[in-house]
Amino acid sequence: MRLLIVEDEPALGDLLRRALERAGFAPDLAATLGEAREYLALGGHAAIILDLGLTDGNGLDLLREARRAGNSTPVLILTARDAPEDRITGLDTGADDYVVKPFHMGELVSRVRALLRRPDAALGVDLALGNVALHTATREVVVAGAPVALTPRETSLLEMLLRRHGRVVPREAIEQGLYALDNPTTANAVEVLVYRLRRRLLACGADLALHTVRGVGYLLAEA
Amino acid sequence: MIPLHRPSAQPGTRAAPAARPWFLVSRLAWRLSAVTLVGVALGASAVAWRTLATISSVDDAALQSQARLVAEQLSTGPDGRPVLHLPAELEATFGRTDERAAFLVFDRAGHVLLASDPTTVPSVLAALDPPPWTGLFRAPPSPDYPNGMVGALIATRHWRVAVVQAHELNEGLARSLVRDFMFSTLWLLLPIGGATVLIGVLTIRHGLRSLRDASAAAAQVGRGQTGVRLPSAALPGEILPVVGAVNAALDRLEQALDAQRRFVADAAHALRTPLAVLTARIDELGDQREADDLRGDADRMARLVGQMLAMARLEELPLDVTAPVDLRAVAVAAVSEIAPLAISRGVELGLLDGPVVAPINGNAAALGIALANLLDNAIRHAPRGTAVEVAIEAPATIRVLDRGPGVPEAERSRIFARFHRAPGTRPGGAGLGLAIVAGIAAAHGGDAWVEAHAGGGAMFVMRLQPAAPRA
Repeated sequence: MRLLIVEDEPALGDLLRRALERAGFAPDLAATLGEAREYLALGGHAAIILDLGLTDGNGLDLLREARRAGNSTPVLILTARDAPEDRITGLDTGADDYVVKPFHMGELVSRVRALLRRPDAALGVDLALGNVALHTATREVVVAGAPVALTPRETSLLEMLLRRHGRVVPREAIEQGLYALDNPTTANAVEVLVYRLRRRLLACGADLALHTVRGVGYLLAEA
Repeated sequence: MIPLHRPSAQPGTRAAPAARPWFLVSRLAWRLSAVTLVGVALGASAVAWRTLATISSVDDAALQSQARLVAEQLSTGPDGRPVLHLPAELEATFGRTDERAAFLVFDRAGHVLLASDPTTVPSVLAALDPPPWTGLFRAPPSPDYPNGMVGALIATRHWRVAVVQAHELNEGLARSLVRDFMFSTLWLLLPIGGATVLIGVLTIRHGLRSLRDASAAAAQVGRGQTGVRLPSAALPGEILPVVGAVNAALDRLEQALDAQRRFVADAAHALRTPLAVLTARIDELGDQREADDLRGDADRMARLVGQMLAMARLEELPLDVTAPVDLRAVAVAAVSEIAPLAISRGVELGLLDGPVVAPINGNAAALGIALANLLDNAIRHAPRGTAVEVAIEAPATIRVLDRGPGVPEAERSRIFARFHRAPGTRPGGAGLGLAIVAGIAAAHGGDAWVEAHAGGGAMFVMRLQPAAPRA
């Protein structure tokens, strides 16, 4: 899968390219807005990693141009600016993710992967973490190579948690995602569901931990 | 409560109250009223005085012409004394008692030769002593002329002729004329004066209405909203220079803030890009032990840079604290953000149930940074297996409770100072996190401090200004 890296610091660009190559991508590296425009004209990139402070201008201008031209390629902004208003401006301009320098290469690669499997990017994808895999199209759950039978709600909850693994999924989001509006949930329906999923995962030997962040939500991580 | 190291910039703190303001409208109204009243009074007096002067000059002319008429009728008798042959109409004038006019004829030496009314002679002689050649004179009262007399004296070749008249005549006339004037002219002048005051006041009020719009716009200028300019449309020309000067000052202020903002952004870029290169190089080393140590060092450096930039932004740039902020939503976001750190350290992180808290005026992003700093601090000091909890209390207080070692009393006021690190603190902190908390609390008109948590540990408190109740 081809990626476009727009980064004017040669050392960082090189490191990014090597790391993404190791992760199985085919990255192009542009050091200036001009080069980036040329690459974009060729097309065919699955995602763009965009630095904002470039020698010949602001990366946001490139993003704006691309979005105006109808280019909906997912864009991950990579920047040294972490003021909240910078973040908001970046996302408002049409970026899909925002990573502040410095960053860990592993995290960046997994964020790029997440960008590429956004719900609208593909119909059926495999979500995997540790020894647990979930195929979103067939609703099959496999733990340590063996299929596991989960109820539809448990599967949906696992999917939500897997899609945002390592981050907190708010309880309200689970309530809204799993229960129809005309089917009012009892006060502890989500707690009961989480408790059941946690027990199932434990029983079938999954190496995941489903953490409770009291009063806020839940977080799935490798144990 | 412990005083913070940083004087909090309380919004609304003012210098000593200035002298009472004065208002153009009332000042103009008073002055115009005073000027109008004085003007009417002066005008009335002038007209009255002119009227009296006219009356007396008419009288003087009449007296003189009568005196001349009398003189023309004089001829020298055989004994050298004057002989008067008065025509009938003149005779009538001097014969009528109600007008009380009289003539006298003197010789050159001032002896009375003829007098139409002998009773006038003593007082006329008294008035003409020493005798002038000609002119107008006033004579003192006599029994028949209780108010005195006015007279005209002319000289002919042989004699001098005086005509006198009772004084009260023209005084009565003057009084009635002045009365007339008061009733007609003054009642006309007063409404005109009133209208002048009214028009002045209305003009000023109307002219100042556009100034009210400008001051409403000026009230918008505040933290983080330096883009506002005062509207100059429809302002009177006298006010325009002030508005222009204020707008120019705002331009300069915005330029300075822009420069500062650019500097912080440039510094962020300059510091973070090499750090990103360093981190990426370390990541390439893989999972060796030395690589992990280096990663820890680089992470610590990155945290320090991040905090210094946050501090720089807070110190140099105005924070917009005017948006409605739901403290519980801020807490949910901060807890979610920091949860992975808590999990990796085996600390149980939670947001306690609490009352519904009304939104405050503030900056959600900044408050999120402050709370995340408090949580980061608490998690780093909490022993594995203990809980770090966030509590939101009405009206606008956030508490972060931990079961760590707590903060010794002597340290409590100092830990909010920049780069302060309590003795025995584990490495990893830069000593800026709590200073940022204090700065953000102060920018919200509140404060931050630490207490002992009952049962062991520390309780950090951020007390913010509740939103003013809507009138």
